[in-house]
Amino acid sequence: MEGSSLLNDYNIPPRVWDEMFSGKGIRPAYRNMVAAIQDLSAAEMTHKDELAKKLFMSQGITFTVYSSGEGIEKIFPFDIIPRILEAAEWKHIEAGIKQRLKALNIFLKDIYSHQFIIRDGIIPAKLIYSCPNFVRQMVGVDVPYDIYTHISGIDLIRDHDGTYYVLEDNLRTPSGVSYMLENRSITYRIFPDLLPKNNVCSVKDYPDLLLKNLMSLASRQKSDPTVVLLTPGIYNSAYFEHTTLARLMGIELVEGSDLVVDNHKVYMKTTTGLKQVDVIYRRVDDDFIDPLVFRPDSMLGVPGIYGAYRTGHVAIVNAMGNGVADDKAVYSYVPAMIRYYLNEEPILKNVPTYQLADPGHRKMVFENMPDMVIKKTNESGGYGMLIGSAATEKQMDEFKIAIEDDPRSFIAQPIINLSSAPCYINGVLQPRRVDLRPYALYGPDGIDIVPGGLTRVALKEGSLVVNSSQGGGSKDTWVLEDTDE
Amino acid sequence: MLSRVADSVFWMARYMERTNGMLRILRTNYISSQDEVKDFSWRTLLRNYSDAPAAEVEAIGNNSVKVLHHLLLDRHNGASVINNITRARENARAVQDHITKEVWQCLNDYYHLIRSKEIFEQVSSGDPVTALDSLIHHGMLYHGTVDITMARGEAFNYLNIGKFLERAVLSADMLNIKLTELDYDLQSPVEVTALRYLLYSLSGYELYLKTHRGNFQTEFVLDQVIHNEHFPHSISYCLKQLFRYFERLETGSLPESYKQLEFLIGKTMNSVKYSSLKTSDSEGLKNFLRQIRQELLSIAAAFNQYYFGNS
Repeated sequence: MEGSSLLNDYNIPPRVWDEMFSGKGIRPAYRNMVAAIQDLSAAEMTHKDELAKKLFMSQGITFTVYSSGEGIEKIFPFDIIPRILEAAEWKHIEAGIKQRLKALNIFLKDIYSHQFIIRDGIIPAKLIYSCPNFVRQMVGVDVPYDIYTHISGIDLIRDHDGTYYVLEDNLRTPSGVSYMLENRSITYRIFPDLLPKNNVCSVKDYPDLLLKNLMSLASRQKSDPTVVLLTPGIYNSAYFEHTTLARLMGIELVEGSDLVVDNHKVYMKTTTGLKQVDVIYRRVDDDFIDPLVFRPDSMLGVPGIYGAYRTGHVAIVNAMGNGVADDKAVYSYVPAMIRYYLNEEPILKNVPTYQLADPGHRKMVFENMPDMVIKKTNESGGYGMLIGSAATEKQMDEFKIAIEDDPRSFIAQPIINLSSAPCYINGVLQPRRVDLRPYALYGPDGIDIVPGGLTRVALKEGSLVVNSSQGGGSKDTWVLEDTDE
Repeated sequence: MLSRVADSVFWMARYMERTNGMLRILRTNYISSQDEVKDFSWRTLLRNYSDAPAAEVEAIGNNSVKVLHHLLLDRHNGASVINNITRARENARAVQDHITKEVWQCLNDYYHLIRSKEIFEQVSSGDPVTALDSLIHHGMLYHGTVDITMARGEAFNYLNIGKFLERAVLSADMLNIKLTELDYDLQSPVEVTALRYLLYSLSGYELYLKTHRGNFQTEFVLDQVIHNEHFPHSISYCLKQLFRYFERLETGSLPESYKQLEFLIGKTMNSVKYSSLKTSDSEGLKNFLRQIRQELLSIAAAFNQYYFGNS
């Protein structure tokens, strides 16, 4: 490490867990990788950085920023230094996510049928019925194999002592998995040989696993069911991901206008007539999926698709109404769900969460606002959020007024100091805050989590917001193979 | 294949073919504008490839750099090359899972190329021919990529149907543009240069020289552009290819749809085949080109109705 210019100026902020450095030096997981890059000159590193940008641009790996006319496509900033997880860490995460998903899935089944969890007084009925994402139309609907959360992305963060916390369960239409795949394919271009030398687990099975799960949901006993991916269209911010997944699975990418419903069956319009569709992996939100049942002004959905789903002629993935389980206020009950449904202690911790509908909590939060993060319960993407330590008096006052108006729509959490990881920015290695989103696939054969995920980075110095719409970027995420086995 | 996808693939191919045609005619026109001393006018071309008001077109008609800007890079001109490429890419974006990754990347690079500073500067203050050449080369890269990577399935058929239909329209248009510049007066010998440029634009000059050994006659040029079955830009050749790719759709097609299109394409092929054109009959020539163009557009409309589900 001595004499290496790359690592000399690396200063970790106080009370932050750094993924690469411990107090005693470089963590074991990073040693090989650091050895490989520390002697590279600044010019070589910058060259790699530029190569990565060029590859992203020419492959059209872009996301769309809403409401900004020409040049609306941007590349998702990519940092070339991978984030590395050891096998043991991964095992812990994997077990924790599986446990959580099992409980959340039973919760969805329960909440849309008998509601034992309410009757037993674990969760207040008011909280569920006041949730805007509780979909009444899903009550009593038979869902294939009782699986609701086929695809989920669980956001994890790390506090200053290295403990993992679950920040959010994304159970509706989580995005970003294509970046997990593309980031990996960029890494082997810019760092030849580094992946095999480090025994990095492969992530390339994801599309195969997903397709296998989707096919197994077909209601008819058909050897070759028709599976499609329903996208809102080319102007959606995640359109690149939709095409990538459709291509990798070899399935048809359809828009709402390509589908028609006749006699509770869904068909797609082709050049040779109508063809029945068996499974739909939809990337259109609940609200927009069927104008006859949900928002009548939706142009993205398919009229009548809800009826087809209810009668079991088509499987829709993820199920509708999952929003009630990843609501930010319901979130605080997930540990209780795990204990209630599984009779187990939660493996992964929840961030302490205060319901602002509770007057006592509200008072406490108002008094300690600079140490709190306040979030709207039904927003995502880093919108509708106030970080106390970075907010002005005026912003805090505005939030207080909004909270007094509608306390159910807000929660507060103590600020967790996200862990930092090394990033190559402006020719210098610098620590930036990161989170981790592994993707879990829940099929009739159980839960699969591809070893890896999306590491999102807050590229601004000191920032804690990692969302791509708020100046965040991403990194390739390595899970090292267990070498003892 | 989804009707929407077929529609998008068809249009992607048309926009790319149109781009290629425009780039070539702009290149030869620009060179001839530098070559000729007497005042060169872009007006006929502008009338075809600009949707700007007549007064505006009139104002820039003699300024080659401004014209090139308007026809190549002006986003406000709906028919400009940059808009064609953007639309081709939008269509490709919507069907990424039906074209190969290579084709998509090639189109995406094309889009970034025409938006680049280099092209802008070459056109505004450098050598526009360099800019046009690099754009034309990239277009060739696209055709090669399609040929080498695309599976010979439905998407490939619609791609070629779009391509050859558009090429036939372009050849008819370019012939019309040149003849209009000459006021359809084909008796006097001055038109030779103009027709030579037409052949350059259609990459048919070498073929012409080989066939006619320097004997330059308007009738021969017309015959090559309309009837020569070995010339890849002749209307006859394009229709033959169009029919060839259309026939491959027969197995999956609804019989009614197939019959409609077969009739229209066959009719157009015959109109071209059994036409006898005389240079002395300028009115007849004008009408013929107008009629062929109309028939080609009805073929496109019929595809739209019977195969792409947009009635």
